[in-house]
Amino acid sequence: MTNRAKLLTLIMLTLMAAGAFYLRVLTRRVSMEAPPFGEQVARTRLTEAALQSDTAPQQTATLYFPSYDQGALVTEERQVSWAKGDTDRVRQVLLALIEGSHQGYSRGLPAAVKIRAVFLASDGTAYLDFESEGLEDFAPGISSECLAVYSVVNSLAVNIPAVKKVKILLQGKEVDTLDGHADLSDSFVPNPSLISPAP
Amino acid sequence: MPQAFRRILGPKRVFVLGLILGLGLFFWPARTLRSDNFVFYFPTSRHIIALEEIGQAQYLPLMPVLNVIGKVGALQEKRRSLTVWFGKVQIVLRVDNSAIQVGETRLNLAHPVRIVNGQWMVPVDFVTTALPRLTREPIEYQAGSSRVFIGDVKPTSFSVRLDPVPNGARVTVQFTDKVNMTTASSNGKWYLFLGDRPVEPLESSFRFSNSYVNDIQFDDQDGMPKLVITPAASGLNFYPTVAEGGKVVVADVLKPPPSEPQRAVTPQPPEAGTAPVLEPLPGQGGEEMPMAPAGPALPVVVLDAGHGGVNLGARSRDAVLEKDLVAQLVARVRLAVLATGKYRVVLTRVGDLNMGFDERAVAANLVRPQAFLTFHAGNLGITSPRVMVYSYQPPSPPLTPDEAPPGLFVPWTKVQQMHLGRSRELALALHQQLSQIPGITADRPADAPVRTLRSVNAPAVAIEIGSLSVDEDAAVLTTPTFQNQIAAAIVNALEAFRGGHT
Repeated sequence: MTNRAKLLTLIMLTLMAAGAFYLRVLTRRVSMEAPPFGEQVARTRLTEAALQSDTAPQQTATLYFPSYDQGALVTEERQVSWAKGDTDRVRQVLLALIEGSHQGYSRGLPAAVKIRAVFLASDGTAYLDFESEGLEDFAPGISSECLAVYSVVNSLAVNIPAVKKVKILLQGKEVDTLDGHADLSDSFVPNPSLISPAP
Repeated sequence: MPQAFRRILGPKRVFVLGLILGLGLFFWPARTLRSDNFVFYFPTSRHIIALEEIGQAQYLPLMPVLNVIGKVGALQEKRRSLTVWFGKVQIVLRVDNSAIQVGETRLNLAHPVRIVNGQWMVPVDFVTTALPRLTREPIEYQAGSSRVFIGDVKPTSFSVRLDPVPNGARVTVQFTDKVNMTTASSNGKWYLFLGDRPVEPLESSFRFSNSYVNDIQFDDQDGMPKLVITPAASGLNFYPTVAEGGKVVVADVLKPPPSEPQRAVTPQPPEAGTAPVLEPLPGQGGEEMPMAPAGPALPVVVLDAGHGGVNLGARSRDAVLEKDLVAQLVARVRLAVLATGKYRVVLTRVGDLNMGFDERAVAANLVRPQAFLTFHAGNLGITSPRVMVYSYQPPSPPLTPDEAPPGLFVPWTKVQQMHLGRSRELALALHQQLSQIPGITADRPADAPVRTLRSVNAPAVAIEIGSLSVDEDAAVLTTPTFQNQIAAAIVNALEAFRGGHT
């Protein structure tokens, strides 16, 4: 092997080793970066044009948010231009819950949660499929987790009569719980007893 | 030149080179995360902070560490740097930089500062490098250990000896001070809990080449110092005795006599995989452990500490983890229940294990308990301390008598629905007792779809204490006073529930 060929081999091996090392560094950096979700992202999604119905008249939507102090759901009313289809209305209610209360109540669903899909079956079961990553900021605990689930279930049922039950999925799959407490193995029916009476 | 290329980079050589590089990348160790804890011992309290392994080094989250030793005044975070005002000292850190500024002094840590999931992480040697400049209290830290003693803490230490005896081996543990010991057994191992005093072992692990004892490990990862004894074979008996006023434990590990009928001894050696059964060990010197009383079997109470292992549960502002808090509370409840002499207690988890929901239910159902209590801590709003009791409510309407499945079998997912009435009675009995504790808010019992309760074949409730959230300190929930009050109320409630039952 000539000196030139040896030099060429050496250069190529060095480049390949450097490339492999850079690949590892890149992988590590990607895994350490925080997920790019935030309040702003959630709010931006609210403006998604597909869900807006400019022509429809404004109507009152009833939303339920958790009150950890009361151990109950508190009511907030909001003017909404409802979309035509029930599935889009389900999405509208979810986005309004993700946006959070306008009156300073606690948040049930974290701001960074992302809806993957929504289905409304003929038996009245609404299937809600969330991305699991956005649920990392979930308020932990039995009370907080159950209130979060029922804030969704009750809000959907009261605004969309076609919704009789709610089944929650994460990443398209059935899961035991959101964060170790509320039993998600079955569909949820609304629980009006959790709603705090109006003051 | 092209010929030289072809000669050097022939297809065979390229293939071999690619294979070597591919294998190299495949076996290159990826970044691993491990869940161990670091324990901060103070004269009257202790705090547990989860360690993370980044690369080959162990890291602590900066803010919880600062919060356990003092109060953070303010902080300013930029993309690559963090400035923290801690008392009169200003701390400046930069990402991927091992040099930090503490006041006027520049310090070098063993590993660079990192950010993981938005948390600023410092290597463990921050404890010895920076902490002495942040607190005037004396700091005692043994390099390589996962505990530090801050302030006027006088930890106990111990030595271990193993001697042969006829038909077995004798373990002698000599402590430097008296400790209040209790024993337990679980998953084929024996546990010596060393009470509330901080313990600093000279050695954490003792391995033996012996037919009776494999090893003895010291563990305080959940804030409860204990020795874990691993027998070398199953079916061995464990006979611990306490001597010298609690400064010595002598435990004989013996083969059972072949023809002798099974006697009730304390504690029985466990078989791997069975539900853990715990018995108390009085911390009095020189006497034999008491025998279990003869007569009818005692009713069983199952205590379930939520979460565990990598499943941390909720976390408070001052770095109290739900899994550790409830394990501590369960230990106190266990002692209080056993002290009545009227129950056997079964724990679903001993130590820092991540048990599945079904594993917990199986452990409970195997012993046919009179009551099942699962303990959690979470965000209960601004009122603290506060206790809530839940009985199970299925997400969908429960079975009506007409819908109930006939015959012998009940679906595993609907087992608890057969006990809803009794579970509500148990919840009510607990609420009546808990609401009598002064200074604690006890809400009326609620129904909730608590997953842990779903498949328990007994009256079952969940007890949640709080508030444990990142917005609140949780020190009040860790005090022995609070936990003992809860334990006493639970004992009274079990008595009332049992009375109603008979």
